[in-house]
Amino acid sequence: MSRPERLIDENGRRVDGRRPDELRPIRMEVGVLDKSDGSAYVEFGGTKVIAAVFGPREAHPRHLALPDRAILNCRYHMTSFSVEERKPLGMTRREIELSKVIREALETVAFLEEFPRAAIDVYVEVVQADGGTRTAGLTAASLALADAGIPMADLIAAVAVGKVDGQLVLDLCDLEDKYGEADMPVAMAPRFNSIVMLQLNGRMTVEEFKRGLALAKKGIDEIYRLQREALKKKFSEISPEEV
Amino acid sequence: MALAPKKDLTAKIMRSKIYSLLLQDRRIDGRKPTDLRPIKIETGLLSKAEGSALVSMGSTKILTGIKVEVGAPFPDRPDEGTFTVNAELLPLASASFEPGPPDERGIELARVVDRSLREGGVLDLKKLCLIEGERVYVLFIDIYVLDYDGNYFDPSLISALAALATAKLPRYGVVDGKLQKTGEYFTPEIRSLPFTVMVGVIGEKFLLDPQLEEEKVLDVSLVMGADEKGNITCVQKNSPGQVPLELMDSIVDVAIEKTGEIRRKFLQEVPVKLVESP
Amino acid sequence: MRGELEMPVYFTEHEIVVPGQLLSDNGKRSGEGTYAHGGKIYAARIGFASIRDNKVVVTPFKAAYKPAPGDWVIGIVSDVKPNGFEIDLGRHLKGTIRIPDREEVISTGLNVGDVVYVRIKESGLSGVVIDKRSRIRRIESGILIQIHPAKIPRLIGRRGSMINLIKRLTGCEIIVGKNGFLVINGPSPEAEFAAVKAVKMIEEEAHTSGLTERVEKLLRELVGGAEAPSS
Repeated sequence: MSRPERLIDENGRRVDGRRPDELRPIRMEVGVLDKSDGSAYVEFGGTKVIAAVFGPREAHPRHLALPDRAILNCRYHMTSFSVEERKPLGMTRREIELSKVIREALETVAFLEEFPRAAIDVYVEVVQADGGTRTAGLTAASLALADAGIPMADLIAAVAVGKVDGQLVLDLCDLEDKYGEADMPVAMAPRFNSIVMLQLNGRMTVEEFKRGLALAKKGIDEIYRLQREALKKKFSEISPEEV
Repeated sequence: MALAPKKDLTAKIMRSKIYSLLLQDRRIDGRKPTDLRPIKIETGLLSKAEGSALVSMGSTKILTGIKVEVGAPFPDRPDEGTFTVNAELLPLASASFEPGPPDERGIELARVVDRSLREGGVLDLKKLCLIEGERVYVLFIDIYVLDYDGNYFDPSLISALAALATAKLPRYGVVDGKLQKTGEYFTPEIRSLPFTVMVGVIGEKFLLDPQLEEEKVLDVSLVMGADEKGNITCVQKNSPGQVPLELMDSIVDVAIEKTGEIRRKFLQEVPVKLVESP
Repeated sequence: MRGELEMPVYFTEHEIVVPGQLLSDNGKRSGEGTYAHGGKIYAARIGFASIRDNKVVVTPFKAAYKPAPGDWVIGIVSDVKPNGFEIDLGRHLKGTIRIPDREEVISTGLNVGDVVYVRIKESGLSGVVIDKRSRIRRIESGILIQIHPAKIPRLIGRRGSMINLIKRLTGCEIIVGKNGFLVINGPSPEAEFAAVKAVKMIEEEAHTSGLTERVEKLLRELVGGAEAPSS
């Protein structure tokens, strides 16, 4: 799809009708796969991701194991049909970079010292990409870790803010990401008001950057609330026979 | 070179238990030996894929997507569209799947599904030609195993067929010698529905659609496929081990019966344009 | 609130808490499943928060099994060495049985793939060591299933009430390992299958109420109700 004439119209509405500070409809479900130790499915509008966690388990290869804590591995990967133009099989450089920044965010909050010599493997699979796949992926990975019973200091909530038509917007969709002036994925451990993932692609003034962070925090607070709800929902479900 | 994949440690008592249950026509999950697990099919779930299907057989879950491009035909088949099948055993699906390029199991899966589709004559590839000798539809059928509780073969084929049967391909017209999308879409005709059943052998007994715990203790397994006309469309012995020749007749009979069952379920769940093939 | 803490707590008894949730201002009373930071206590896992022995604890829904001396566990022999055996206890846990005498190792008759019921002697930096002096029982037959170790207490029930219910209604022998492995042996395939189903139901619904009634109902449906109803 080619660049729309305007990314924000005269009424302040974005290409999908949202206001600048509005999140897309978000859906979260915890425990969607049977064989992994923990899993979660997250949707941010048209972006759909699944995350799964295996661990703590034996580290492979063994010589990579650490004597005093677990190693956390992370793989961010997109299916071939998640994007408009088929993505060939195999890991692209982008997927490798995103795997790293997602891992580093998760490592920050997980209590890895509880599992010496073990590995915790986190897999994020993007089945449909419409902007903000790494932030949706990280949000899902955090839920999957909690579902797997991995002890953590906090959940991680993430969202991308950006600049389109000179304005700061929250939760970029694919069009805005493609044709906007800046894209800034932000992840936080909200309990500690600290940033665990931060990147910028594009250009912003110092003032825009600061306002962008504040806007991200606003979105993150809401996403964090939805995460806590999704986790509690999973464990408070009672069997239909009970009713 | 075929590097043997890491073997799961199996408890010997499970093999004796599963075998002794089989002698009583029973399995650990309550099924009878030829019972299949419940099959669920969902199609059209992904907006960026021209076709998609999520299929579960028991706890095993497979997601298939179809991407369509326009490209050159093979030189020896200038008037036919082309398709390739790829499969990935995602590390999400099982503790025994490692990240990385498809290993021999993923490649085998892709090629077995490919053969069922190709030799089964599922698609009329001549109808997927745009400009003979120059431009044809190129279909990518990409299969992802999301959750593995035994037998990824059968649900992978089901999901590939479901995705094809509900795919929406863009129509092209020729304007000034160039191909242009007309804005319309069409669903490819499906000329055959060849399904497979995975058969696991223990001693002189066999079972269908093994779940993971059963797969671990099988002596040998094979995949057998049949179409609606009763033709065998696929055979793949997919593990080491011996298949007693005297079992083959019963296996063939059961395969034809049970692929028929899958076909009935498929026709109930999927709006497919099934066309008679010549 | 049971227990006396100087500071208030921010949860109700048996409330489901999530990682990062603030539980108390008294950072000194951080117990299992929680951590202290900046003088406050936060949950480290999803689970039920409560006060035990004057500490704030979170009983996790899905804690990995932590081997403790005296625990009886079930494992699969994964390696036979001249000086002993390696036992797979699930996930990344491996137990070792040290038998320095090679003849003795051979005379046990244990091989890779055998299922054993053993007791843990110690667990620490050198790994999990299995007590070879308490009888190493080889389990000869049965269905081996694995459930999440955190659900074992619920499977056993108060004073064994749940596990005994299953045994009674199905007639199955059920050996339970604290590491989440179980072996079920029954008088018929239907009885075994019913026991497996009951165990799986408990694993799914361990944290819900009315579970005992639902398990009993399931078992009666599957194996018939020849038994007297549980009081």
